[in-house]
Amino acid sequence: MTTWLLDYYNWRVVALYLDEFSRGLMATLNISAIALVLSLIIGTGLALARMSTRPLIWRPVAAYIQFIRATPLLVQIYIVYYALPYLLPFTLRWDEMWLGIFALVLHTAPYMGEILRVGFESVPQGQVEGAKAVGMNALQRLRYVILPQGFVNTVPPLLGQTAILIKDTSLLSLITVFELLSAGMIMNSQRIMPTESFMTVAAGYLLIYALMLVLSGWVSRRLSGPAWSVRQP
Amino acid sequence: MADPAIDVPTASGTHAGLPSPQASEAPLAVIEAVSKSFPIAGTQRRHQALDRVSLALARGEVLVIIGPSGSGKSTLLRTMNALERVDSGRITIDGTVLTDRGTDLNALRARVGMVFQHFNLFRHRSVLDNIVLPQCAVLKRPRAKALAHAQELLERIHIAELAQRYPSELSGGQQQRVAIARALAMDPVLMLFDEATSALDPETVGGVLDLMKSLALGGMTMAVVTHEMGFAREVADRVIFMDAGRIVEEGPPHHIFEQPEEPRTREFLEQILW
Repeated sequence: MTTWLLDYYNWRVVALYLDEFSRGLMATLNISAIALVLSLIIGTGLALARMSTRPLIWRPVAAYIQFIRATPLLVQIYIVYYALPYLLPFTLRWDEMWLGIFALVLHTAPYMGEILRVGFESVPQGQVEGAKAVGMNALQRLRYVILPQGFVNTVPPLLGQTAILIKDTSLLSLITVFELLSAGMIMNSQRIMPTESFMTVAAGYLLIYALMLVLSGWVSRRLSGPAWSVRQP
Repeated sequence: MADPAIDVPTASGTHAGLPSPQASEAPLAVIEAVSKSFPIAGTQRRHQALDRVSLALARGEVLVIIGPSGSGKSTLLRTMNALERVDSGRITIDGTVLTDRGTDLNALRARVGMVFQHFNLFRHRSVLDNIVLPQCAVLKRPRAKALAHAQELLERIHIAELAQRYPSELSGGQQQRVAIARALAMDPVLMLFDEATSALDPETVGGVLDLMKSLALGGMTMAVVTHEMGFAREVADRVIFMDAGRIVEEGPPHHIFEQPEEPRTREFLEQILW
């Protein structure tokens, strides 16, 4: 029968660790979801700050974005995990998962922000003037016109960045956060079965990715309606 | 520098059959010596779009501004709701000095309707939402009231059945009528039309002009930049001819179109009419 496969992938042992893997999967999804929402909110703020005409606002933000781009994520995670509690004592009370989420948001928000900025800047000037002409103030123009239209333009690259974020959560295993990769490492250290341990982890990420694809197809279909057609007179 | 030559025609009798608006009242809009220049890309020079332009607009008056492209007529219109800030001069609309620092421009814009060449409808909102949203967001009208007002306007512009469509599903003429309805929903004291029919297919121009005409007959104060000389001749109380950022000639339509005094006006009209 299929017993020959046991030499290559011993699913009977994997089954014993199924509980670990599913808890890891849930933790990865949980961390990703929290980090995604926070990154989008902070990214929106960064995008708007970056678009400011005041140097006092946009210059520090630009410097921060460059710093994040220039340094490896793992270094950023270590800085947050080991150094942040010294820099900001109130973070001492945070557990490793929240420190990890903090590092991921610190890293992802600027990337999301740059994507969103391009989207906001691609909203035609006429749309903004239409909003001005009916008397909308800057905040209302943002809320009713620039954010909804700009966001839609950026859905595909945002989904790409989200896929990267989900994979980046695996680095948190290095600061003792329990997530999908940690489950594999636990199994490997107890059983010394690297194929089973890490192929299962990879399959977990593949599963998340497949879910993302379904989701992005659904989102693009939703956004392909007449409301979002970009045809300009 | 006040211009004593500004002649504000009393609106009485201009709209036959309608009670004349309070003709003796102060003008609704006063523009005094307004100048505006733009930098020319790639050079140190600036283009003088408006050169000490002065004019006054009476309540209920329909003013049509004509002139060659680049003459400053659109810029003049756009200064009247502060979409362009002026370099110098003073603009007063319905008692509000909009060139003063600290004037609430958004409050002013809510009372001055603007219709653009390319409509600028919110493309992510339905026709109905386009008309409801500004009322709710800016005027804080209750949604039910805003909806009723929008429905009424949609019926008036004959596209009530398209209320749930999106702008991109409408013809240019329909979109422009919605854009006019959106502006009217704010109950403006003044309507600005910036080449409202220039981007339309010829067969849809008529509907938009008819709507503008009915507004004029209803006593709306209007400033209209257009190339539609037929409309100007028929509907305008006064026509202004602009060139190179200045008002070259102004007067009632029959004067401008039949006995223009300035050679520049004559030249322009010959080009455009034939």
